[in-house]
Amino acid sequence: MTGPHTAGPLVIGPDHPVVAELAHALGADVDRLPPVQPVADDHAWGWAEPLERWRDRAAAAWAVDAVVVSVPAVVTEPRPLAAVDPDEWTERVEGALATWVAALGAAKARCADGGAVVAVVDRPPPLDSAGWAPESGVADAVEALARSLARSEGPRGVRVNVVTGPGRVLPERIVAPAPSLPTFPGRLDAEVAGAVRLLLAPDASGITGTVVHADCGRSWR
Amino acid sequence: MSEAKVRRVVLVTGASGGVGRGIALACGRAGWTVWIAARREREAAEVALEVDRAGGRGHSVTCDAADRESVAGAVDAVVSCSGRLDGAVHNATSGLSPRPCDLAEVPMADVADHVAVSVRGTYLVAAAVHPHLVESSGALVVLTSEAGFEGKAKLPVYAAVKGAQRGLARALAREWGPEGVRVNAVAPLAATPAMSEAFERDPEMADRVLARNPLGRLGDATDDVGPVVRFLLSDDARYVNGLTVMADGASCPIT
Repeated sequence: MTGPHTAGPLVIGPDHPVVAELAHALGADVDRLPPVQPVADDHAWGWAEPLERWRDRAAAAWAVDAVVVSVPAVVTEPRPLAAVDPDEWTERVEGALATWVAALGAAKARCADGGAVVAVVDRPPPLDSAGWAPESGVADAVEALARSLARSEGPRGVRVNVVTGPGRVLPERIVAPAPSLPTFPGRLDAEVAGAVRLLLAPDASGITGTVVHADCGRSWR
Repeated sequence: MSEAKVRRVVLVTGASGGVGRGIALACGRAGWTVWIAARREREAAEVALEVDRAGGRGHSVTCDAADRESVAGAVDAVVSCSGRLDGAVHNATSGLSPRPCDLAEVPMADVADHVAVSVRGTYLVAAAVHPHLVESSGALVVLTSEAGFEGKAKLPVYAAVKGAQRGLARALAREWGPEGVRVNAVAPLAATPAMSEAFERDPEMADRVLARNPLGRLGDATDDVGPVVRFLLSDDARYVNGLTVMADGASCPIT
């Protein structure tokens, strides 16, 4: 994409306090995704058409040098997967995946040549992931989507990376041993936003397809 | 409990061909009872006969992995007939898996199909087999892909659902471990009809895939991939949990 563009950063995400907080921390504008509502009939994907329309409109807008995508998890209580009912599954996983696909598809289209995309995803640390299978699945899907974009957009100089944060998807008591840093689980406007700024900066010009766990040393991978 | 004395009962989704068939035959070679769960009834029955010829006991049951009632019905049929379930393998994947797409333009209907078979299928199979695996101290294996680690430039949605399966398996291993049930994933690289279709659509892909593989060949579904899954289902792997095993000849640079 070589047309007119702005420096950004632009945050793409739903109308959600987490998205607003992240945008504020980054000094960014927000392009809001349409809401993905739970559906009465099982697995209907009633959100497909609004998401496609939004993506097509977003993709046609001016390019930006830096795009941040944030689709916060639908947080409930940790719950064994076998106890997750179909409607809850649809909202926590299928709606989330559809939204991420639309949002990262738009990010691909909006990001200017030589620019950078960062996906910010809630990810339960592996040690603490019991009861958070839906969010663990979505987080790994986002990682694979970002790496796919890193490959496809790399030839035009676009870098794509992921920042994970655990703060919204933790059990009441975490598994021993304690995380490395006493600041665990970190804050969205500090540790997570800091990692995003790092990956958007020119200093990260050689970093793409990478996942940075901004979780104070809880996940080493 | 010796596996020679007790005929292990396992169910494999999407086993009417490709990697699923290879897993079924590998389990059949060990003398196990193998249920071929697939939408294609006739092909599933044929693989069940192949399992018989391999030394096991083959059965088939119609199963749409994306449909809750179908999955529950298939698992009920297995337990009703065989009396137990020791292992389950979710291998079924969308027919769209080898078809390239652009993330900025992919129809949401295609995304829905990928998610339904791979991701929802994992959830539905897990929920249906869980009580039976608790009873047998059994194991669940989910078939993912190197795409779930490293992404694919032309197959981003396929890569996403394969990544999602890894995350689900990793969390389930922690969730089910206290109940004595193990959960692992396998990322195979094998010669399959889907791989052939992908090579036809992208002729340069074969060179790319083989050039980085130090073994210089695609895996065989029955001889290279099936035994890995069989191992993870067996008591020999009773201390292996929460792992994604790469059965890809060291093709993928990430593990």
